[in-house]
Amino acid sequence: MIEHLLDLTVSAFLLAGLYATMAYGLGLIYGVLRVVNLNHGGMIMAGAYAAWWAHDQFGLDPYLSIPIILVLAFLVGVLTYAGLVRRLPRGAAGGVQSLLLLFGVWLILRNAAYLIFSGNDQTVLTSYSTKALPFLGAQISVNRLAVFGVALVTLGALHLFLTRTYVGKAIRAVAQNPESCTLAGVPVQRIYMLTFGLGTALASLAGALATGLYAFNPGFGATELLKSFVVVVLGGLGSVAGTAVAALILALVENFSILVIPSYLTSAVGFVLLVLVLVLRPGGLFGQRVLG
Amino acid sequence: MKPPRWFRWRPAAIVLGLAVALALLPPVARISVYTQNQLTLTFVTIAAALAWNWLGGYLGQVSFGHAALFGLGGFVAARLQISAHLPMILAWTAGGLVAGLYALAWGHPTLRLRGPYFSIATIGVGEATRLVCTYWDWFTGGSSGMSLPVTAGLKLQLYWYGIAIALVGVATSYWLRRSPLGMALLAIKSDVDAAGDVGISSVRLQDGVLFLSGLAMGICGAFNASYYSFIEPVETLGFEKSISFVFMGVIGGVGTILGPALGAVVFVLVRQYFIASYPQLYLGLFGVLLVLVILFEPLGLTGLSLRVARRFGYRERPDLST
Amino acid sequence: MSVALRAEGLSKRFGGLKAVDGVKLQLREGEILGLIGPNGAGKSTLFSMLAGSLPPTSGRFFLGERELTGLPAFRIARAGVVRTHQIVRPFAMLTLIENVTVAAVSCGRDPDLGRKALEFAGLFDRRREFPQRLTLAGRKRLEMARALATAPKVLLLDEVVAGVNPAEAQEMTRLIRRARDELGISIVMTEHVMPAVMSLANHLLVLDAGKLIAEGSPEQIVRDPSVIAAYLGKAHAT
Repeated sequence: MIEHLLDLTVSAFLLAGLYATMAYGLGLIYGVLRVVNLNHGGMIMAGAYAAWWAHDQFGLDPYLSIPIILVLAFLVGVLTYAGLVRRLPRGAAGGVQSLLLLFGVWLILRNAAYLIFSGNDQTVLTSYSTKALPFLGAQISVNRLAVFGVALVTLGALHLFLTRTYVGKAIRAVAQNPESCTLAGVPVQRIYMLTFGLGTALASLAGALATGLYAFNPGFGATELLKSFVVVVLGGLGSVAGTAVAALILALVENFSILVIPSYLTSAVGFVLLVLVLVLRPGGLFGQRVLG
Repeated sequence: MKPPRWFRWRPAAIVLGLAVALALLPPVARISVYTQNQLTLTFVTIAAALAWNWLGGYLGQVSFGHAALFGLGGFVAARLQISAHLPMILAWTAGGLVAGLYALAWGHPTLRLRGPYFSIATIGVGEATRLVCTYWDWFTGGSSGMSLPVTAGLKLQLYWYGIAIALVGVATSYWLRRSPLGMALLAIKSDVDAAGDVGISSVRLQDGVLFLSGLAMGICGAFNASYYSFIEPVETLGFEKSISFVFMGVIGGVGTILGPALGAVVFVLVRQYFIASYPQLYLGLFGVLLVLVILFEPLGLTGLSLRVARRFGYRERPDLST
Repeated sequence: MSVALRAEGLSKRFGGLKAVDGVKLQLREGEILGLIGPNGAGKSTLFSMLAGSLPPTSGRFFLGERELTGLPAFRIARAGVVRTHQIVRPFAMLTLIENVTVAAVSCGRDPDLGRKALEFAGLFDRRREFPQRLTLAGRKRLEMARALATAPKVLLLDEVVAGVNPAEAQEMTRLIRRARDELGISIVMTEHVMPAVMSLANHLLVLDAGKLIAEGSPEQIVRDPSVIAAYLGKAHAT
């Protein structure tokens, strides 16, 4: 029993890395542009298919295809912003319109994936897919460790980027007050574009990483979008540490819920957590912070 | 009794006349059973699209999970008819009430928050409801579904009930938009806090509209179950179902009075003639249309027809501006 | 003369910061109470508490004999205390006439009050337009008309003169005076434009760092050394 609990805890920690990565992409875009990227789920799915396709066609290891996927997804994000999101009005009306617009993009991606790759479940099988390492008496799969490692490096790099570089600081400044940034000569539109690209890249990174853990189909990403949102709400906007802790909480709650509720309900657990947090602590567990 | 200031005789007479004409179609014009059934489905789809719009259009709270309310209403009504032998109309009412309360249960907290929390929550509600209903087969019959009693002449009866439901939906839409209440809803949509500062009770109004939307959705779902004499969770609660309501609202014109009704008609036709031949393009087509409408004509078909009408010299009468 | 609005020990704390600290305030019926102080003195926070958009940490306030502490904003507005916003917030999706009518109706008043308020603010001719067509001064007048449409007993005006050109400022000042003299509304106003508040206010309160540091007639206040110190620094106060 103890071993089982340890197993659940360790796997929750490792899973949290993935959750934090995908949530940070959503939170970044929302924090800076005040737009919920409903296409987040679509890009997670696209990232998964990209990694799968590279492996299937060229035998490229999913972890090695990540840099290419990041660049491509970044470009997709930039184009999505420049071609679509930028044309919407800001404010109350624009909020609804951006939801619907990005939802439409998601539907298109989903349908495209269905047409190209069919609706069947796909998995990426590598030589190390079934390998595991012993850890404190538990067995940890190599894939989980690798996913965790990549996530950790990404989030660390992101934190440094946002706090140490000029562009990162500009992103945080725009998140707080776009008007003053315009006055101070920050190219706000370009920052928006960059942020949208970054957030989109993070989504597809999460998708690519997820191929090591899950099977997926064109509908993949819906649950992940929701989980990302739960983490964003739990962790507050844009704080890397807050996101990490929130991701861990979600992963722990999900993993341990298996002990008390039937397994088909685990994907509903995140949602219950979301509503609870919204009702009890609407500002997130750590209060509202804007990026950093 | 004097009608309220916002009431207009002409549109009321047109809508009522249309309803009466439609009601007389089967006995007088002897339309085919096929046409009659298609019309029945269109009526209830119109009502559902309007109900979605009360929330998504008038309050700007887009729901991606209205299938949950539609389905729940259907399951409650079906279960009550099968297990408790409740008369159909009573069962529909019960299904509607349960759906309305269910909407309040998760909508009340999420509508309070500034931002798109409600919309995101609806995605989760849709998913969670589908999962739970699929596994609770004592309630929903599981993936094999349940069959409802069929009585003689039910289809014709439902044709008339369908007209009545659509009519109530249209009247409610007029009321929610044209009455002072409609202004208050738009004020809330514009700026919740400023609305509170001039005495608008946003909590009560938002909850009220949410409940109405859930109630209507539940009744439509119950009607749908009776129409097919069958209900099962996979399609009734599916993602595609939720999207179809969004689609109808957006195509017809989010926030307009009758736009979603038009969107519903278009939807039924599109599903009929296009989706049947290209089922694998179903979602993508919706996506493309969503993007195009939002980018080029956010008011959908209503906006488009207004544009055309203006070109021919039509001037709208300002609403409440006296 | 009787008291329209009264507050005792009103405080608001944000974490460790006391934004408003034990403010006592009395607005007599038919008078204008000016609320001045440097930036960040807590004027807007005080307003938000009186309008019900921010719950006070401690203290109470009353409209006449009726306690309003802890009521939500819409109840306070219906009771007769209505605010305007420093950064104007018109209902963008409603025409001007609808902007004011919805306010009147929501507070249970005759819808015609909306029309009258719009006439009062000189915006009636443009009633069918949407707020974004108005200039900033126009939107500020709309903000005021919307508040007046609720037939308030007490009007809370947050910087309605600041930020517009001198001619428009004068027009606004005239409107405020007419609201008091013709409509008999009691007014609390914060204002950065000193000539306006000096000419309008019957009585002034000076807020600095959340605390009330002086009060009196405009003539008394301009000579008060603590006020000069708060605005210009200690060196000028002698």
